[in-house]
Amino acid sequence: MVKYLSTEWAEQAKKKILTELDKAKDLKNMNASLLNVVQNVPPDNKTVYFYFKFVDGNLEELITGSDESIKQKNAEFTITGDYTTFVKISDGTTSSAMALLKGRVKLAGNKMKALTITKPIDTFNACIKKIETEY
Amino acid sequence: MKLTDVLETTKREPHCGLCKIDFLGTGVCAAGKKHGFVAYWPEGRMELARALAENEVEPSEALIDIVNSCNMCGICDRQCYFITQRRPTKAQQALKDYVQTLKPNMIKHTPEDEIVKDLRSIVGKDWATNDPIIIASYLRSIIKQKSSGQYYVVMPNTTEEIVEIIKLANKHKIPYLPRGNGTFFGVVLQTLLAEPSSIEQGIVIDLWRMKDIDVDPESITATIGPGVTSFELQKAAKTHKLRANVAEAESCVCANAQNLGIITTWSNTYGWGTDNFIDAEFIDSTGAIQHLSDKDIPNPYASEQGLMSLSLIPSVIITKLTLKLHRIIEDEEPVFIPFTNLPDALDLAYNLARRNIGISLAVLSRKYLTEFISPTHEIAEDFNYIAEKYLKLNYVVDVICDKYGKKIIEEMAEITFGQTMLKSLILGSSKLASMKDSSILKMIAEEEDPLKAVFAGPMLKHFEKGLAASPRELVKDFDEDLRDFFEKLYSKPELTDSIWLHSFRILPCRMERKHMWMYRGGYMPGDKKTILKVVDALEKPAQQYHIDGAFGFLSYLERGKLAHLEYDYYYDHTDPDARKRVNKAIVESWRQQFAIPGVTPLEFICSKGLHRKEHIIYPLPAGLSEEELGHFEELIETLFGGEDTW
Repeated sequence: MVKYLSTEWAEQAKKKILTELDKAKDLKNMNASLLNVVQNVPPDNKTVYFYFKFVDGNLEELITGSDESIKQKNAEFTITGDYTTFVKISDGTTSSAMALLKGRVKLAGNKMKALTITKPIDTFNACIKKIETEY
Repeated sequence: MKLTDVLETTKREPHCGLCKIDFLGTGVCAAGKKHGFVAYWPEGRMELARALAENEVEPSEALIDIVNSCNMCGICDRQCYFITQRRPTKAQQALKDYVQTLKPNMIKHTPEDEIVKDLRSIVGKDWATNDPIIIASYLRSIIKQKSSGQYYVVMPNTTEEIVEIIKLANKHKIPYLPRGNGTFFGVVLQTLLAEPSSIEQGIVIDLWRMKDIDVDPESITATIGPGVTSFELQKAAKTHKLRANVAEAESCVCANAQNLGIITTWSNTYGWGTDNFIDAEFIDSTGAIQHLSDKDIPNPYASEQGLMSLSLIPSVIITKLTLKLHRIIEDEEPVFIPFTNLPDALDLAYNLARRNIGISLAVLSRKYLTEFISPTHEIAEDFNYIAEKYLKLNYVVDVICDKYGKKIIEEMAEITFGQTMLKSLILGSSKLASMKDSSILKMIAEEEDPLKAVFAGPMLKHFEKGLAASPRELVKDFDEDLRDFFEKLYSKPELTDSIWLHSFRILPCRMERKHMWMYRGGYMPGDKKTILKVVDALEKPAQQYHIDGAFGFLSYLERGKLAHLEYDYYYDHTDPDARKRVNKAIVESWRQQFAIPGVTPLEFICSKGLHRKEHIIYPLPAGLSEEELGHFEELIETLFGGEDTW
């Protein structure tokens, strides 16, 4: 069991993506970088960042942390929302697309391109959902 | 009477919410008016009877109060019978009988938790609840059926109370969702759009109590609260010889303005979207009160476009809206121009729109005409059959204009009919239905141009005489105990006055008296070719999935530059297979609509009514490529799962 958004959780997520997902079939050779801005993370309502980048379906980077420097990575897409919503996405209660549709998260970035990565991102989320996580 | 005895009726309850407004001059349910929560209104009692029969909720103390609050006065039967021919008192009787069977230990007490305590401290003890029975009355009209979330319902009376409620929700990190009269939810929650348009847990903010209306005849405006319905605003405007551009009678004006931008047959001249209003007061997700007229807020009109812009939940709560009203012209008259074919009807309507003729202007389908003016669905079906088979009447260009406009229309169109014929058709619809396959109709059908023969030729007199139109004739097939009431009702001039009916819009709910419907359509350039392509894009999926689809109405906007089409899918929402098929037809029709340049499907306008149309519709979208449509399908699958889960 690892703590959600901790360094250990990020390591396990990386491992799962690399070992369980096919870059063409599952990740559609996606080229995208995405920054999740997770607000109000307990216990002290801090903001935690969760950043990842894919190049041709290969995971190049996946990091978490509250260090503001993560924001400087110039992600193509930024998803901002409350911790409770990200937990629901992480545990599979909802999808990031549904959270967006319900206005629970905000997306910044090219919407037409976002459409092309909806499916691989969903697969990505389904994969990391399998990590035994403590919220 | 058992709850299961009325289940077929209660399952079909469409949540139109018309029972909450005094649209027949009967008054409204006294218990509903006093207690406010949907559970105390006929609509809610029907839902409770269903939910209890289907074991979706257990009896609580509130149930006893709800059941005892009804004195069986029968107002709801008159109201509901007028629209759907249903009798809510039967559901109420079943509830009364059910309560008699309950032993004291079967009635649950609902403890007050911290959140409801805080909500009550904001709005007063009578206006917030966590009682499962009251919450169950909101099922299928803001809460998804079989939802297991923890809910609260609160009925604020002021903007400041809503601010406090939002702050409370944010403090507890629970969602909230405002509800006007639930009419939009009632339709959408039966489809694959249920999840994105409902609340999965948290606080339902029922805005019904906020009914302030202030008409300013000098500036020809009205400022209203979010609980004001179209009917109520129209009534207030009429006392000043003014008219509001509003949606169906039961819809809350603020919700409709925010959601779809108020699009009506009057939009031809009165406009839609931001044309309709001057200012809005709203509360954002942090609880801050803002106004569209504030100079230092971010651009309130900026809006997303395209596939990723679908949003069925409002991002703000409107608490006050200042709308434009319009002067009623003294010599307004209805003119109807019947057509057999849609392209011909579009040609005339477009010509009128671009010349600015007609205050209200729309192309109506046979389905709308017959369903709206017929007092029962059976009569409507027969009327529909007769119109199609014998009269060749499939579309009507429906105009309200001044006397000068009427002259021009009569010059432009060969066949027209007016108020007298419409009144005859309303009061004679029962008789007409009984003439199905009669010799006079066969004679008419044999004419070279049946429309001309009936509405402008030698058959006109015989046809009108044959209808024997009278309130007494009309009500002869009604339930016996209601005949006197309805005979008197249909004797009132407004019930057959086309202009009144176009303004007060009490008839459209009749379209859901047999089955549920899902409104489809969208906005598009006003050229005939595009409109016909869109009709095709909606019609073909309906046929493919065996859904009863029908053209509803088309309004031209901005002198014909744009058009708005409503095309409806009718289906039995109590049948899981029909629900699956309608969902498949919705997705397929989106696909086809998005491939047509310039078209924005109706669902993608949702929640954008406060934005300027220039930000919603322009630049006109290019039709999506095959590759983009492929991504669209992936998005749909991500959002709603595959066909098997629908």
